Amino acid sequence: MEEKYAVIFDHVSKIYSLKSKDKKDAGKRFYALKDISFKIPVGEVVGILGTNGSGKSTMSIILSGISNPEEGTITVNGEQALIAIQTGLNQQLTGLENIQLKGALLGFKKKQVQKIIDDVIDFAELGDFLYQPVKKYSSGMKSRLGFSINLALDPDIMIVDEALSVGDKRFAKKCIDKMNELKEQGKTIIFISHSLPQVKSFCTTALWIEGGELREYGDIDTVADHYDEYVQELNSMTKKEQKKLIKEKFEKRIIKEKPKKSLLNRLFE
Amino acid sequence: MEGYILAFFYYVLICDTLKLVKNEGENMFQSIKYVLTENFSNVYRIYSIAKYEVLADIRDSRLGIFWNFASPTINVLTYWFVFGLVMNRKDVDEIAFFDWMIAGMVCWFFIRPCIVDGCNAIFQHSKMISKMKFPVSILPATVVLKELFNHACLMVIVFVIFIIQGIYPSVYWLGLLYYCFCAVCFSISITMCTSVLNMLARDTKKFVSSIMRLLLYMTPILWPLSRFDDIKWLQIIMKANPIYYVVAGYRDCFFYHLGFWPYRFRAMCFWAITITLFAIGSVLMHKFKAKFADLI
Repeated sequence: MEEKYAVIFDHVSKIYSLKSKDKKDAGKRFYALKDISFKIPVGEVVGILGTNGSGKSTMSIILSGISNPEEGTITVNGEQALIAIQTGLNQQLTGLENIQLKGALLGFKKKQVQKIIDDVIDFAELGDFLYQPVKKYSSGMKSRLGFSINLALDPDIMIVDEALSVGDKRFAKKCIDKMNELKEQGKTIIFISHSLPQVKSFCTTALWIEGGELREYGDIDTVADHYDEYVQELNSMTKKEQKKLIKEKFEKRIIKEKPKKSLLNRLFE
Repeated sequence: MEGYILAFFYYVLICDTLKLVKNEGENMFQSIKYVLTENFSNVYRIYSIAKYEVLADIRDSRLGIFWNFASPTINVLTYWFVFGLVMNRKDVDEIAFFDWMIAGMVCWFFIRPCIVDGCNAIFQHSKMISKMKFPVSILPATVVLKELFNHACLMVIVFVIFIIQGIYPSVYWLGLLYYCFCAVCFSISITMCTSVLNMLARDTKKFVSSIMRLLLYMTPILWPLSRFDDIKWLQIIMKANPIYYVVAGYRDCFFYHLGFWPYRFRAMCFWAITITLFAIGSVLMHKFKAKFADLI
């Protein structure tokens, strides 16, 4: 049974410490994610929805294994990768050199880099700009280059975090097409985006997190509708009400007890 | 006499290490194994990061690679002006002071940036480690490899200076490879520790860079160790300094040609310190490997 799931979250919580203005309150801790459990089957395309600050990015970092949660366990079957567009691009180097560098950063061997290079050049549509330093690129070009290199990674589980909000519509469509291709190959894709239409057209299920907690996980249409309703409701509120709600949500995520941990404790724990 | 004191020093170090091994036990060997495998399985990654960092550095300026040669030359000239011309130091062991100094300085110019820049090894890539799964423990090696390139440039200049003055290469110069390897190992080991500590508290870098300024004058690089011939204990402490082992080694290869045997106690001290530092660094790396993204 276990094999059928790509990702299993079991009561996962991620806690950040906060710095606050007055010293008495120092050491407050804050739930970025609180007690989240779900299972994503292999080959599913999941959209993660949520308003700003609800924990989407934290989720993507934990999903990709960059950071470990404080509580709970995560099981991941297969290789997962976060599609991070602009990281690892060096402004001084040319496009070609950046492909080689980022390929190496992602863990390719020299031969593998040579192999992917043509595909990347083809997909990124850079033309003669390939031999220009990246600092002269437009932001769309940069993200095209970054996205193309990441696509070559070919992981089992792909985590896409707001990646398509930078390029123009045509390139976004190209990426979606490419991801659809991957979808048909049976890859699990986790898609994090603000754009509801994009999520709706692309994903089969959706996962809605709000205030660090899991609100709903299920079929895309139902979750998206509920999410849409919620956003509409938020928008219809007066500013005062909105502020109050945000404050309430924030208070809910703070942990009351304050464990004191000095630098030395952290070293020798 | 001094041999015994150094041996004692070495013995104390071993005891301390053994105590640490006893307490940390399996954990430590696991960490060392983890760091070593991660480094050796990512050789191409290390090479690429270093290569493109050097390349980006070169692209940054108009004259490019010229500066890799020019800035150390100007640095050497500064020291020559102060110590060679203004202070007019006497020859050391019948070797012109400038030659004697430059043979040690060349090594210092390699170790110093390794250690100072090494503090920032992880932090300067913070953007990357927060966005992708990345073997963090290879970062110290990339910094050292990058500096190794600059070191090679400076070595070319030094060879030219020596050959012009009539000091010709001999078999003993091959010993430089060993001492260079020593310097690389020592730099990586110390950088393992400082780069992790720098993630916990950014003060580490400030502390290390001030200490390094002090260490330049504390290590017998600009003055011969024979200055302290009457204060034996101070001389012994100085000899235990791992940086001095490498500096003295460089000089031996260039001028004295004594080989490795006279320096055996120093060598033991050096490797004991290096391995201990590497073990501590590995434990730190292993402990914090999944927490770097949160520490930024």
